[in-house]
Amino acid sequence: MMNNQLSTCEIVYIPEKEPHDLHNQPTEFVFASAIDPKHANHIVRRLNQIAPLEHLRHVKRIHKKVLEGGQVELSVMLCLASEGDNQLDTVPPALQELISSFQLSPFITKVCKYAASSKEEWQEQCKIWPTSYHPRTYNIDGITGFSDENAESIFKFMQSAIELATSDDLIVNAAVIVDPSAKQIISSARDQVFAWSTNKENSSSDLISNKFATNESFQVNESNNHLKQPYTGVACLYPWQWAKQQLHSHGSYYCHPLRHAAMVAVESSAARDRYLFPSEQNTGEKYIELDHENPSSASSPAKRQKTVCTTVENDDQSKARSQTSNQLSERPYLCTGYDIYLVWEPCTMCAMALVHQRIRRIFYAFPNPNAGALGSVHRLQGEKSLNHHYAVFRVLLPEEAFHKCHTDEVPETKETCVC
Amino acid sequence: MSDSCSETVRFMKLAIDQANLAMDALEVPVGCVIVDDGKVISSGRNRTTDTRNATRHAEMEAIDVLVEQWHKNGVSTSEVAEKFSNCTLYVTCEPCIMCASALSILGIKEVFYGCSNDKFGGCGSILSLHQSTSTVSPNNTQVPLGKAFKCTGGIMASEAVLLLRTFYEQGNPNAPKPHRPVAVACRE
Ligand SMILES: [Zn+2]
Ligand SMILES: [Zn+2]
Repeated sequence: MMNNQLSTCEIVYIPEKEPHDLHNQPTEFVFASAIDPKHANHIVRRLNQIAPLEHLRHVKRIHKKVLEGGQVELSVMLCLASEGDNQLDTVPPALQELISSFQLSPFITKVCKYAASSKEEWQEQCKIWPTSYHPRTYNIDGITGFSDENAESIFKFMQSAIELATSDDLIVNAAVIVDPSAKQIISSARDQVFAWSTNKENSSSDLISNKFATNESFQVNESNNHLKQPYTGVACLYPWQWAKQQLHSHGSYYCHPLRHAAMVAVESSAARDRYLFPSEQNTGEKYIELDHENPSSASSPAKRQKTVCTTVENDDQSKARSQTSNQLSERPYLCTGYDIYLVWEPCTMCAMALVHQRIRRIFYAFPNPNAGALGSVHRLQGEKSLNHHYAVFRVLLPEEAFHKCHTDEVPETKETCVC
Repeated sequence: MSDSCSETVRFMKLAIDQANLAMDALEVPVGCVIVDDGKVISSGRNRTTDTRNATRHAEMEAIDVLVEQWHKNGVSTSEVAEKFSNCTLYVTCEPCIMCASALSILGIKEVFYGCSNDKFGGCGSILSLHQSTSTVSPNNTQVPLGKAFKCTGGIMASEAVLLLRTFYEQGNPNAPKPHRPVAVACRE
């Protein structure tokens, strides 16, 4: 039904930093000089000692130009310069010495200030002065693209998140945590900010159909949003509005302002882990997450233990486990290796919860201009100080994907993805 | 000043007691108390190891206790909001980005913390979620995107750091606990 529509859509990587304007990347002025190729090795080795240029490590020291007739011309980057400063006064003595002993004639040129974050950026950079490019700083599948098979399973899991989000009259955010190696759902949840049930383990408790009172901030949000409807029931979109809810229903309901779908899904995955792997104390092993809330003054370089083996199990659990994973006795550390599918980009609270729980990849369908922490308002995947970094992807879907879930009779639209 | 200072220290000591409970349970030693009208109404300590849920920070534990209790007593949503807006949190370590967002979502009145959190801190160290952010609406009025809360750090910071350092250095949970210095820091 909606597979056809979904599979025509794209998966876009949301990088750690906002991409620079390709043809207008930030640059820095440096002194450079043409050199005799015979001296290149010697000069570069000496320069690495006396002028290492730590923050420009992505910039190659040597610029090679092939002239007409096959002649090679080499230039070397010497040191930083400031704009309009043609004087070499500020150059350190050791470098002055090198310049005079090889009779170099320094000139000012530009190099790119930041390492390229895409192949396109890198190609543009090299037109100015060659740089090096490391496509991936960590090994997460998908940053360089998805195979058809993987893309298909990504659409399938996103579809189940959308079905969950639309499974009640009130559309809310939904989260699905997946083990991609087994292509298996670990846990899933809808927002539970307002729920009839007080049972926290039940991730599919009924939600009260309610609408927010209209107020000014909604009009603003609507205008920022790509979507036609405001979707005021989505907790991550309106994290501060819970107190202003006007409930149509009376009676005993459970209100917890922090039970956003991602938080509930993390809780369920932890509960599942405790059930499948009950007591690791029996093996005498114990998790201690060494870098949790760890101020730098108390930090320790000790390595975290990633997996723990259990020897005690019952039939049920071992059966469940053999379905879940090919390695019988291994359990993942938190959500290491797992992916999460969210209909909306998570708010800051949820995005940080997913850092804590060590999620490997996040896929979301719609951006969150109000409170989104994966590029819209904050960009946690680019916060260098954090101890864990996930890769973030947006699955581009048309808004009609919601309605497709409700009725299969909706006529096929020619509408393209919301980009 | 001395009155409010001594009260701040008194509540922070209770937060440190909670952190010690976490330490005894082999959890990262962070603890907190929530105070309303001069009375402790909830407390919590880190439970990430036991629950295998790395989001179960002291703050989240203490908040859940309150929400549960108010629900049982039939407190309405608007009353819950009203109650949180009167609460002050005392926590031994700067709230992380997740907890600081949560505190803003709840609309808490004020936060006092011990040591700062250079890796995850959401109250000034990495992000400043305690400060209100706003956007400009099409008709040029400022529309707040989040709720701000007052935040003061450095309360008994050395005690809080010592606990964490002891935890990370000892490795062996049965190692003798250090005696805690009673030096008091109070900044306003
Ligand atoms: Zn959220
Ligand atoms: Zn926290």
